[in-house]
Amino acid sequence: MPLWFARGLRRGVVTTRYPARSDPSAASLPTPPAFRPRQLTVRAVDQMVAECPGPALSRAAGTLVFDAGACTACGRCARVAPHAVTPSGEFELASTTRPALIKLIPILGEER
Amino acid sequence: MTAVEPHAAGGTRDQLVDALAALGSRTAEHGGAPAVRIPVEALEQATQTAASTPDVRLADMFAADGDATVLRLVWADQRDKPGYIVTETEIGGGEYPPLSGIAPAAFVEECEIYEQFGVRPADGKPLNRVMLPPHDGAELPTLGHRPAQPPAEAHAPHLVGGQAFEFPFGPVRQAGVESLYYGLVTSGEEVVDLYLFTWHKHRGVEWRLRGKSMREAIFLAERAEGLSAVAVGWALAAAAEAAAGVTPPPAAARTRAVALELERLYNHAAATAALCQATGLSVGQAAAEIALERLLRVNAAAFGHRYLFGVVEPGGAGRAPDAEVLRRELPGAYDELRRTADALLSTNSFIDRLEACGVLTAEQARRLGLVGPVARATGLATDARRAPVAGGGPYTTTPPNVVTATSGDVFARFQVMLGEAAESAQLISRFLDEGTAAECVPLPGGGGTGLGWAESSRGEALAWVTLDAGGRITRARLRPGSARNWRGFDDACRSRNVFTDIPIIEASFWLTVAGIAR
Amino acid sequence: MKPGQDEPTAAEELRKQIAAQFGRSLHIRTLDTGSCAVCEQEIRLLSAPHYDLHRLGFFFTPAPRHADLLLVTGPMVRAFEVAARKAYEAMPGPKVVVATGACALGGVYQSDPFVHGEVDAVLPVDVWIPGCPPSPLALLQGLGVAVGRLAEKTPGLTFVADGDGDAR
Repeated sequence: MPLWFARGLRRGVVTTRYPARSDPSAASLPTPPAFRPRQLTVRAVDQMVAECPGPALSRAAGTLVFDAGACTACGRCARVAPHAVTPSGEFELASTTRPALIKLIPILGEER
Repeated sequence: MTAVEPHAAGGTRDQLVDALAALGSRTAEHGGAPAVRIPVEALEQATQTAASTPDVRLADMFAADGDATVLRLVWADQRDKPGYIVTETEIGGGEYPPLSGIAPAAFVEECEIYEQFGVRPADGKPLNRVMLPPHDGAELPTLGHRPAQPPAEAHAPHLVGGQAFEFPFGPVRQAGVESLYYGLVTSGEEVVDLYLFTWHKHRGVEWRLRGKSMREAIFLAERAEGLSAVAVGWALAAAAEAAAGVTPPPAAARTRAVALELERLYNHAAATAALCQATGLSVGQAAAEIALERLLRVNAAAFGHRYLFGVVEPGGAGRAPDAEVLRRELPGAYDELRRTADALLSTNSFIDRLEACGVLTAEQARRLGLVGPVARATGLATDARRAPVAGGGPYTTTPPNVVTATSGDVFARFQVMLGEAAESAQLISRFLDEGTAAECVPLPGGGGTGLGWAESSRGEALAWVTLDAGGRITRARLRPGSARNWRGFDDACRSRNVFTDIPIIEASFWLTVAGIAR
Repeated sequence: MKPGQDEPTAAEELRKQIAAQFGRSLHIRTLDTGSCAVCEQEIRLLSAPHYDLHRLGFFFTPAPRHADLLLVTGPMVRAFEVAARKAYEAMPGPKVVVATGACALGGVYQSDPFVHGEVDAVLPVDVWIPGCPPSPLALLQGLGVAVGRLAEKTPGLTFVADGDGDAR
């Protein structure tokens, strides 16, 4: 047991200060996408919806409906439309209502 | 430490295939695994031939519906050219010869096939529930015909001095563990018998995979047993590649291998932490958890996901590792694990709890067709990385040393995991030197059937897939390592153990319920 | 309780009560309704040295009678429903239900004969934590929100990339 005690002292403290302070390890976590409305076209959105392996993306007329609660941050939508999608960097996604996780994003880009 | 099984005189895989083909006829290969069609009247003899060949084990058994119900047995041949053989038998009348007497490794699969396809062994013995819950009105969809009657389970009666008390345990257990439901038979403190229920978590993944494209399927397969996401995803992708007749580019194959070894590393660290928790050694648990967290952060930094989801894709790999970050961060993280292990091996109070606990013999492991560190700890040198995939595969140029032990107890399993972790760290370094990339070859249409495999941290993961002309799945079979090894848990717990040994044995197996209740 | 205008007040009251009672010491029970086992691994790491939820006054408990918060993973396999309800009912009030992980939020499985597809179909969920899996940091934030110690960010998040003007 002295072996473990000495080891522990030498090892030091690794505990995060989160939530009081931010944690640098959060930078390499996968996060849901953020969209660029002016780069979104109906065609690109439909491709993204088809590529999404879950129900996180759908289109309602000229609006992209993004369910951040259903999103697994798999990154497939970003690969299909790299100019229109970028990682949001947000991992603090807890919500006290389910609808607050569903975001409406206008499709403002023009088909070329 | 490596035990070598004597080979049967003149025994090679080709000779076994010929012996089986003499009872039936050869059909097309399923991606490097020769297939033999066996008529149902010769099935017993074919099973006997394969099961009595040393170093050949039954890796899986499953069925598929088409014009008729076809029963498939996958045999793993572990002799000098390791590989697989598939036998296919059409079942006409709803019954087939009983096989679990010849190959006890078939019993759970016989139960599964009865629930999914309504066909059963002809001996009339009771079959246990795998997927069907005992609730009234549980009309779950099946892959084939519904069984005429629900399974009439029976668990072998065990008594000690004429007394035994049987009670169900779970499925909701202590904090932070999966739901696990089992029946425990005890005469007091001693574990007389233990049998698992799996219907409480059964998600019907194979049913859900029908009609999916391979990209959609990999997403679900990764989440069938998430702690083996790379292995199960790789096995399924390899099955589809075999069906389509393509091979991933070598650099992409090495990417998969790097991810697979990282998966092995973090799982063995997690198992070490679980062993410490089960034995009440909090300092050891904390140290192992530090190592585990460091390894998960390495995964995130290298591949963008702590659990390596999204690396395997049909035809290759979707993400390449950040080689510079991996080379810089992995040695320190692995070292953390190694130093913790060294300290544990010097802690007698810890080792004392592991020795002679949860003993499995090589004979039991062989009889039940166990895989992974559980089997290797009894001396069986079985490792799916030794079986080359079509086109070679990344482990052909860099074959791993197969780590074995002989005592078959918890301590032996722990030693095997530590040896494998050391091996994994070296393999990753070599694969990085050879070069990795995120590339995929397209899967041509036209349909086909293929078998795929990968060695997960808990044992060989197998997958078998039939694709239609449009590349969509008509039948997918997923067999994670857990699906094979849980049956060994019963035997390991029964060998002169008491209640408090159960969590220790569970940690040394390091399986998941998700892997069998998929 | 009158419907309509009194309901928000009742919810506020409950929130204040939860913050007062659980804000400094919270006992968590976990419930797996069919997960792939990865969410459980992240939950276990909450008591590991890197995260140490004890410093925040959070504790795990295996005893439902002792638990304040039910942390639920998995897509609510239908065969598990009876066990899930029993686990919930065994907890005395006031209690909080947190659904965590994409499976529990309907992101991986949709309602079919095997699964409900989301925890909310069977248990009354108070807080949703997305992720596949949610990392221990995300879980800590979610627990903080559940006891009223942290303000939730979600209503203010737009998931629109900066620099793309006219976005709202």
